[in-house]
Amino acid sequence: MSRQPEEPIFNRIEELRIQKGLSRQQLADAVGVHYQTVGYLERGEYNPSLSLALKIAVELDATVGEIFSLNPFRKVKNHA
Amino acid sequence: MPKNNKIYWLEGVTEKEVKSLLSNENSKFSWLRRQRNRRILVLFMVTGLLITALGSYYPDLKQGLGLDGSAEVIWLTIAVLFLLFAVLVGYSLLRIAVRGIADAPTELLDERQVRIRDTSFRTAYMIAGYLLITLLLLNFMGPDLTFLGDSGNDGSFLLIATLFAYASLPSMVLAWREGDI
Repeated sequence: MSRQPEEPIFNRIEELRIQKGLSRQQLADAVGVHYQTVGYLERGEYNPSLSLALKIAVELDATVGEIFSLNPFRKVKNHA
Repeated sequence: MPKNNKIYWLEGVTEKEVKSLLSNENSKFSWLRRQRNRRILVLFMVTGLLITALGSYYPDLKQGLGLDGSAEVIWLTIAVLFLLFAVLVGYSLLRIAVRGIADAPTELLDERQVRIRDTSFRTAYMIAGYLLITLLLLNFMGPDLTFLGDSGNDGSFLLIATLFAYASLPSMVLAWREGDI
C-alpha cells in the first residue's frame, strides 16, 4: 500500500526470514498470505493483524515482541 | 480428482479465475501491473467512457453539425461500436492489472488485499458521489445546450458508460493508487 500507517511499527521479518533460509514466497505460503504482502510487511508499509503477527512469529521461531517493536531495532552487523 | 470450481454469484467470478489472477500464472501480463502502465490504462478507460457517454448525444450532435447523410451515420455508429469494444477490452485488461482484487470475494484474499479492496470501494463510492453532484449542478446551472436540438437522444450510450464506470471504478482506483499489485 502506498499509504503510510498512522504509527510506524518496526519489524525484523526480513532479517529473521533470511536467517531461516526462507524465501518471501515460502513464508507467504506458510502464513497464508500473498507473497507481495510479505514485502509490504518487511518494508513496514503494512501492519499485520495480531493473528497474522502470531503466525509469522511461529514460522520464524520467535516471539511477537522479538519481531515487532514501536522503536527501531538496532542494526546487527553480520560477521559471518 | 479435479476440484470443483466454486462460483461466487454476488461478485460474478469463479474461484479458479480469482486464484489465477492472484497468482503469477499470467506472467505475460506483468508489464501491465507496473503502476505507470496501470495509470495509462485508467486514463484510457476514463477517456473511452467519456466518449462513449457523449455518444448518447450523437443524434443531437449530428443535427447540430448538420450531418444528415447515411454514410456519416454508418461510420459514426461503427466508431462508437469500436469504442465500446475498446472499453470492454480495457476493462478486461484493468482487471488483470489489479489481479481482480476489486471483484474478489473476501475468503480468497489475504488481510492486506481485503483492506485495499475495501478502501478502493470507499474511494470509488465517494468519487461516484462527487461526479453525480457535479452532473446535477451542471444540469441545473450549466451552459444551455438546447442549440444542439433534441433529435431522439435516448441516453443508451450514457447508460452503458455509467454501467461500465460503476463496474470498473474500484479497479481504476486500485490501479491508480497502489504501488505493487
